Amino acid sequence: MAEAPALSVQGLTTEFRIGGQWHAAIRGIDFDLGKNETLALVGESGCGKSITALSIMGLIPKAAGRIAAGKILFEGQDLAQLDEEHLREIRGDRIAMIFQEPMTSLNPVLTIGFQVAEALRYHRGMSQAEARTHALELLEQVKIPSARQRLDDYPHQFSGGMRQRVMIAMALACKPQILLADEPTTALDVTIQAQVLLLLAELKQLYGMSMIFISHNLGVVATIADRVAVMYAGEIVETAAVGDLFDRPTHPYTEALLSSIPRVDRTSDTLMAIPGQVPAINRMPGGCRYAPRCALRQPVCERPPALAPVSGSAPTHLARCWVRAGGDR
Amino acid sequence: MLQYLIKRLLYAVPTLLAVLTVVFFVARVLPGDPAQVMLGEQAGAEAIQALRVRLGLDRPLVEQYVDFMQGALSGDWGTSLVTGRSVLGEVLNVIPFTIELTLASILLGALIGVPLGAWSALHRNSLVDYATRIGSLFGLSFPAFVMAIMLLLAFAIQLDWFPVISSGGGGSVSERLLHLALPAVNLGIIMAAYITRVTRSSMLEVLGEDYVRTARAKGVPHRAVVWQHCLRNALIPVVTVVGLYLGILIGNSVLTEIVFNRPGLGKLIVGALTQRDYTMLQGLMVVYTFIIVVVNLLTDLTYGFIDPRVKYQ
Ligand SMILES: Nc1ncnc2c1ncn2[C@@H]1O[C@H](COP(=O)(O)OP(=O)(O)O)[C@@H](O)[C@H]1O
Ligand SMILES: [Mg+2]
Repeated sequence: MAEAPALSVQGLTTEFRIGGQWHAAIRGIDFDLGKNETLALVGESGCGKSITALSIMGLIPKAAGRIAAGKILFEGQDLAQLDEEHLREIRGDRIAMIFQEPMTSLNPVLTIGFQVAEALRYHRGMSQAEARTHALELLEQVKIPSARQRLDDYPHQFSGGMRQRVMIAMALACKPQILLADEPTTALDVTIQAQVLLLLAELKQLYGMSMIFISHNLGVVATIADRVAVMYAGEIVETAAVGDLFDRPTHPYTEALLSSIPRVDRTSDTLMAIPGQVPAINRMPGGCRYAPRCALRQPVCERPPALAPVSGSAPTHLARCWVRAGGDR
Repeated sequence: MLQYLIKRLLYAVPTLLAVLTVVFFVARVLPGDPAQVMLGEQAGAEAIQALRVRLGLDRPLVEQYVDFMQGALSGDWGTSLVTGRSVLGEVLNVIPFTIELTLASILLGALIGVPLGAWSALHRNSLVDYATRIGSLFGLSFPAFVMAIMLLLAFAIQLDWFPVISSGGGGSVSERLLHLALPAVNLGIIMAAYITRVTRSSMLEVLGEDYVRTARAKGVPHRAVVWQHCLRNALIPVVTVVGLYLGILIGNSVLTEIVFNRPGLGKLIVGALTQRDYTMLQGLMVVYTFIIVVVNLLTDLTYGFIDPRVKYQ
């Protein structure tokens, strides 16, 4: 990559304390996010996607969580080392985040006008009136019908899809360089999902942002991402350009995800058909973490595999599997 | 809004009628002749009969009921069997004292309890949090009248800052406040203990809400997260508890009233009970029902003030 990445995550490990002991929810996460690039983080629920995003935002709850190792390089600074005040200045300004649950992610007692205007007041020092005018423009940009009348409405007066549009407007308020979208459409109906995805792609183009798009649905990812990192049990198990991944899915987990892509004729996409479940963070298998669920399991899988190049694919295509990509066995 | 108020008050009418009916029948259907109960075991038959006539108990039940309801609704609640004065008059005499005391103790409780509870939640498991939790538990479990006596001994007798007999004070505002101070502190501390605990736990819950994380993700400073995003949400359950406790407090202030020798509804009801003042009790039941209705209405109005999801319809 000729240009420096917008964000570089290196060896990121975030831990939580459970019963007096620290356990890694994500371990040794490495990726670069290029300028204008969309990187998708994909995996079932509980694989560590949200924790990765929250670590970047510096929003890991301090009471029982910590970034134990690794670097998060952004504009020459390591966000993992930054203190709360400096992180606050970056959050919502240069790096913004959209959350999965539009129903609970907006404050029920504050008007959406207020909530959209907030970032502008704190980061741009705008007055209430200025910020309000600007908030109106943002709401129009995310295509909220009759936005002017709706500025003083409360979240409960909006549908799920409209609330997610409000969330997007909020995140874009300060024109961030990086947008972290954590399952922004998972809670929405299929038709609304498509509209919101389209809007996100459009705005990303317009604003010239880099985006980390989190989803458990590889099907959604295909339409929006440039590159994909598949996560399993807190680790990246396969990463490739989106075309390479769909051409040559290598890790058995990626295959399983692909075969569980919900079909259009079914409405719910939350049910996954992969047998077994993601191990809890205090019950991680010692070797390959996917081995207990894997049909291709071999004796060698007792040892932890490393990310290795997939032979016959692009050099950026890596997988963490002894059987399928175990170059350095 | 005004429409809503009128509607709510109209809804209260059937409730009041139902309570009146229950009061009427309970007094008559329960075993034991009220006249006999009032006069005691040794009373002669003529005396009992005379009282029965005076109370109208000798007439047919339906006639009594119609009479009773008419009287209750028109404000003619009869006269006290003990003092001979009008029941309504007695109630109206003491109500200002009760309202004054209740409002003052709630105000005090909220002024102490809300900041303390919020602060305790924000510094969870700190020394201050522990102190607050223990203190509020103590405030709840400490008998109110013991605290009342201690306050009296310390501030009225030893230090002589406040009157020993808080009969209410005469005309001037400052004198009234002086008389109100100790009883209000007494009940206010209990109220503060309740409010602290509820505020703390609801604040802890709110701090873990998704929208708080959203606010932080926007870069909202901590102070604004607490004051603008958390506190108002955290107050919703506090209003519930204050509303519930308000009803209890009004009846519960009797020991405080006795220790500080202060007039009030609590004292009136205990007096009526011990002296078997049957007409007075009937009247007080109606008053309490009305108070509960009003308190509920105020609680609902406060919800609407805090929470935009509440609609007045
Ligand atoms: N506050 C926490 N305390 C303990 N464990 C946590 C906490 N938050 C998340 N985890 C665990 O970390 C793992 C990854 O969670 P998460 O990143 O939310 O998954 P997802 O991929 O669904 O977004 C899960 O096993 C989850 O149980
Ligand atoms: Mg998640």
